[in-house]
Amino acid sequence: MLDQKGQIRIIESFLAIAVVFSAVLVSATFPSSPDLSKQKSLSNMGTQALIKLDTNGTLGNLILHSNWADIRTALNILLPMGVSFNLTVYDEAGNAVNLEAVQNSNLLGRDAVSVHYVCATTSQAVEFFVIRLQLAWAG
Amino acid sequence: MRKKEDSGQILLITAFIIASLLISAQLYILDVGKISGEMNSNSLNDFVSSVKLGSAHVVAGSLANISIGGAFSLLESNIREWAQFVSAQYVEGKNILNFTLEEAAPYSSGVWLFWGANGYGASSAYVDFLHTLVGRDSDVEMAYSVNVTTALLISSTSRMLNETTQQINTTIQVSDETGPALATQVTVYYKVSGSWLIPDGSNDFELLDYGNGTYLASFTAAILTPGVEVSVHAIDFRGVRVQANVTSTEA
Repeated sequence: MLDQKGQIRIIESFLAIAVVFSAVLVSATFPSSPDLSKQKSLSNMGTQALIKLDTNGTLGNLILHSNWADIRTALNILLPMGVSFNLTVYDEAGNAVNLEAVQNSNLLGRDAVSVHYVCATTSQAVEFFVIRLQLAWAG
Repeated sequence: MRKKEDSGQILLITAFIIASLLISAQLYILDVGKISGEMNSNSLNDFVSSVKLGSAHVVAGSLANISIGGAFSLLESNIREWAQFVSAQYVEGKNILNFTLEEAAPYSSGVWLFWGANGYGASSAYVDFLHTLVGRDSDVEMAYSVNVTTALLISSTSRMLNETTQQINTTIQVSDETGPALATQVTVYYKVSGSWLIPDGSNDFELLDYGNGTYLASFTAAILTPGVEVSVHAIDFRGVRVQANVTSTEA
């Protein structure tokens, strides 16, 4: 009788250890929170690239002439290597203006940050756009 | 005796409590991380910077339109539209873009067009902005002025080549609010018998671009009297048009 009790104690102890251990394992599998410093740096790079492109009104004029290839090339030059981007331009009514994708690679499955930028053209008939630039580190 | 028999169950219950504490602590840490991760990746300063650039573009575009004959009121209506557009873009706080058109002489409704006969011409717009942005964590109030000016300074000399023909040389200097500026288009006119004519190949017309905002236009014209009236129209890279007239002096 005493032996049986001892065996039950041992089983209970193992069960207790298993419960705690499985809790540790479960909590370890939770996804970690995103690296904020990396996100902040990406967002800064994106904003600065857009500001540089917009300084003399180039960005607005490229949008006005639907010159998406030149915008893609300019962003490829202004952003550091290893940064993937996807740019979408919206008009005042919120409709997407660029019918073709302005991106250098696919961002699916990556931790991306989004930069929103307001832009006006220097043309005689002034037009306004909202630009959403999504950025992620490649690889 | 009963207490001893229950000790195994207590051990299990304690294990469950420890396990639930571990998981809930981990979930809490994850949740806190998510809240921080949702911070707006666009800082207030970046937003204000983009609005400032946009304001300058709106003023330049409006001036370009006004300089080719658009109404002066276009400047105010364009900026008002821009201010409304900007206000709608930042929904996380109060976002107001106020503006004041320059009314001090020589400006009127923020615009000054002076296309003089003394060799100087200017197309200019001047607007003061105050951008107030109240966010969740901080406030930004930025006051700035936008001055868009395209100016033209010309001087002209002429000399008789023979009894009927004169050689006219006109020096043209284009500048904007920052200094010398390049023109995308320069058109030279000269006046004969009350009509303005554009010199061409038949006038041996040449326009020399020094690449620093200075141009030299030279041409010949069949004018007998000294003091040829010359007019220069220029358009800068922003599309702002400016013109100036001058009477050439004898070289």
